[in-house]
Amino acid sequence: MAVRREKAERLADEELMPLVGRKDPEAFEVLYDRHGGVAYSLAYRIVGERTAAEEVTQEAFISVWRSGARFDATRGSVRSWLLSVVRNRAIDFLRSKAGKAPKLTFDDDAVLAQQQAPEMTEEEALRRETADEVRGAIGKLPGEQSKVIQLAYFGGFSHSEIAEILGLPMGTVKGRMRLGLEKIRGELAEGFA
Amino acid sequence: MSGHDRHERWGDDLAAYALGALEPAEATALEHHLDSCERCRAELRWLAPAVRSLADSVERQQPPPSLRTSLMAAVREDARRAEGETAAQRNWWPAWLRGGSGPRRLRLAAGVATVALAVAAVAGYEVGKDGSGEVGNATTLSTRQPNGITVKMVREGDGGTLRLAGVRQLPPGKVLEAWVRREGTVEAVPALFVPDRSGRASTTIADLSGVEAVMVTQEPRGGSTAPTSKPIVTMSVPQ
Repeated sequence: MAVRREKAERLADEELMPLVGRKDPEAFEVLYDRHGGVAYSLAYRIVGERTAAEEVTQEAFISVWRSGARFDATRGSVRSWLLSVVRNRAIDFLRSKAGKAPKLTFDDDAVLAQQQAPEMTEEEALRRETADEVRGAIGKLPGEQSKVIQLAYFGGFSHSEIAEILGLPMGTVKGRMRLGLEKIRGELAEGFA
Repeated sequence: MSGHDRHERWGDDLAAYALGALEPAEATALEHHLDSCERCRAELRWLAPAVRSLADSVERQQPPPSLRTSLMAAVREDARRAEGETAAQRNWWPAWLRGGSGPRRLRLAAGVATVALAVAAVAGYEVGKDGSGEVGNATTLSTRQPNGITVKMVREGDGGTLRLAGVRQLPPGKVLEAWVRREGTVEAVPALFVPDRSGRASTTIADLSGVEAVMVTQEPRGGSTAPTSKPIVTMSVPQ
């Protein structure tokens, strides 16, 4: 039984997922309206072209629609799961375009299982960060740290591929990733402290 | 190598892993280590919001309206198909529960479901026996199970929240799954849940209309399509 749109709009993402799991289009539509913009933006940032970004976003949302019943709220938020699915599909798109075997499979349940559940209060607080604030935190990184993080996250390159691209030892690449992520995390923590 | 040095080594791998940048063999080795190292798991949890924030940092683009249109068309078509299958399943379940002519795999599962329903009938909630009350538009039903678990159902509008207390910690790889019985048909409640350290657990049941009983079982991570274990909670729901 589908819930009415107005009722679905009052529900939190995690409350919508059981409805999506029961194949409720109204609940799913609300989910898309909430996160479709950021999902498409992320896909576009990775694949760099609109048609491909549309395709990736549609595939990711269809996957969420089909596997919604298996969503496990104890493993993190709907939004972070959805964006992980978008990213993985976009990276796979890039790799298939480059003639490489997909690095990641389309096993979106595995994405769910790998999610690191944060403390929920912290997750809620961090979610309130604006995109500008997040960009500010990333912008403060030294270029060498920002570059390895962007190549990994938006380019889908492994640390050894990045080491080859930049002509650096693999240990240096991993070390820069760690320092960079720790700094971003520190900035985010200050934002809501 | 000291314990501290070992963790330093894993620390660099954790960041690369969080970014999806480890090679598959390295990721497998790290996951093996994570199984037994709470310290590294905690560090990974701490790093996770930094990785998630990268998705939020991208410049916003406006998705074309055609994306929403085509996506929703596909979804509504899929929902129509699913509705057709559900209707067929509703006609089929009662025969299945009676131990009809379905495949052996399903008859075995039906046995478990029948046990669940029988226990529900014996141990189910009775109005007025354990307690009920109304606050505003919400109705609360509560009962204590023979195994010591306290069950509270807060019913509001079409849906409700099932709150459990006194739940033992689950074996590794297990989650809790709730089930509702409606017109003799047992359906899974999609959201899976686990107890916290104090033994409390809760889940939302979006649609309680026509529900006669609610049950909770332990199921493998990822959930099951039919109960595979004896329920730890059964509660009759007065209409």
